[in-house]
Amino acid sequence: MSYSTFNKNQINPLNEPMFFGNSVNVARYDQQKHSIFEKLIEKQISFFWRPEEVDVSRDRVDFQGLTDSEKHIFISNLKYQTLLDSVQGRSPNIALLPIVSIPELETWIETWSFFETIHSRSYTHILRNLFTDPSDVFEDIVINKEIQKRAEDISRYYDDLIFFTQLWQTHGEGDIEVHGEVHHVSMRELKKKLFLCINSVNALEAIRFYVSFACTFAFAERDLMEGNSKIIRLIARDENLHLVSTQNILNLWQYGKDDPEMKEIAEELRDEALAIFMKAVEQEKEWAHYLFRHGSMIGLNEEILCQYVEYIANMRMEAIGFDAPFKQRSNPLPWMNKYLVSDNVQVAPQEAEISSYLVGQIDSAVSASDLGDFEL
Amino acid sequence: MSKTFKVRVNGQHELTVDPSDGSLLEAMERAGIETRYHCRDGFCGACRTQVKSGDIDYINEPLAIVRPGDCLACCCVPASDLEIDH
Ligand code: FES
Ligand SMILES: [Fe+2]
Ligand SMILES: [Fe+2]
Repeated sequence: MSYSTFNKNQINPLNEPMFFGNSVNVARYDQQKHSIFEKLIEKQISFFWRPEEVDVSRDRVDFQGLTDSEKHIFISNLKYQTLLDSVQGRSPNIALLPIVSIPELETWIETWSFFETIHSRSYTHILRNLFTDPSDVFEDIVINKEIQKRAEDISRYYDDLIFFTQLWQTHGEGDIEVHGEVHHVSMRELKKKLFLCINSVNALEAIRFYVSFACTFAFAERDLMEGNSKIIRLIARDENLHLVSTQNILNLWQYGKDDPEMKEIAEELRDEALAIFMKAVEQEKEWAHYLFRHGSMIGLNEEILCQYVEYIANMRMEAIGFDAPFKQRSNPLPWMNKYLVSDNVQVAPQEAEISSYLVGQIDSAVSASDLGDFEL
Repeated sequence: MSKTFKVRVNGQHELTVDPSDGSLLEAMERAGIETRYHCRDGFCGACRTQVKSGDIDYINEPLAIVRPGDCLACCCVPASDLEIDH
């Protein structure tokens, strides 16, 4: 079934499933099949920020004063985060837009991916400030074995879905031979690949950032690398919304509130979905091991970081219908929470410069009636 | 003063909560209970809490997924006496 950028058939998007229905034609948001995605778009746009708004110039001096093992921790985390956002800045678009069939989800995917590109641009902002030429850091991302291992697991479910979608779009269902290899393309097979892909993305958004976040905020607890920490706070807030979207997709399927076939697949592939999550947890723990191989940093070590990964993993897994697999029920890094609180609720004084940009916009929207009681 | 409700947390703490006094999460914090939270704004799901009996009202509509039998403590208040696991 070939893709059309403007489906000429009359379709009612309220009757379409999230994916693999009729492709979207009119981008309308006055009515929604799943209103959560429209709400996420609004929230995400309200979070808009630009890396350049955050002053990172003091980090350069701080960085020079770090020990070699701390520098390794700091730079390795930035490399890993750069990888994650490089993937997320394109893959939801390439893998999911060709198969999405409701407008609010289509636009959410575009909004989501766009914010990932802001994250990517912020890493350049941070690194350009630390190094006159950050090329070595960027170049190592495709060579570094520890990062490669993760890249392979993160991209393969996307790549698999993309390849099968391309076969289906050009040849339809059936056995299709490409370079001597036969692929069995069926709607069921496509939907299974979609299910596994969303589970893999969900695991990425749920836990893959948290080891790096913890290191960043541990530096900030010592008043170090605070510009970087401000940026990571904004990123962490965005990542939470991305996670809400994948959790919603998985739950809508599980509860049979979307495509009934996806409900069957969710049951059929439950063990595989669990394995994807557990592997991501393992990889995060290995990452903590890699970070601290030259020595740890004040306030953090491998063991406590692994406990934190388990603590987060428990919460994330319960949200998609799994039992909490780990014993770690209390937060081993309580100070993390203050960096993860949404700015909207409690703006710490040091955050004033971040918020000022948006605050200015809000101020200018004050109307005369709001000032009714004012005497000049 | 508005009506208060009895809230039993994790089978061990007995709280008297005034719904006009802030969220369920804040009530637990005032009682010295170790809480789980991140955003405090209804969109991360970290404060997910099991409601074993009773009803809650949302003061802000949550964005995070709320599965049947759960609530998000950061953006709800008791609407009756409650038994919860946090
Ligand atoms: S703390 Fe984030 S949803 Fe309640
Ligand atoms: Fe991101
Ligand atoms: Fe993300």
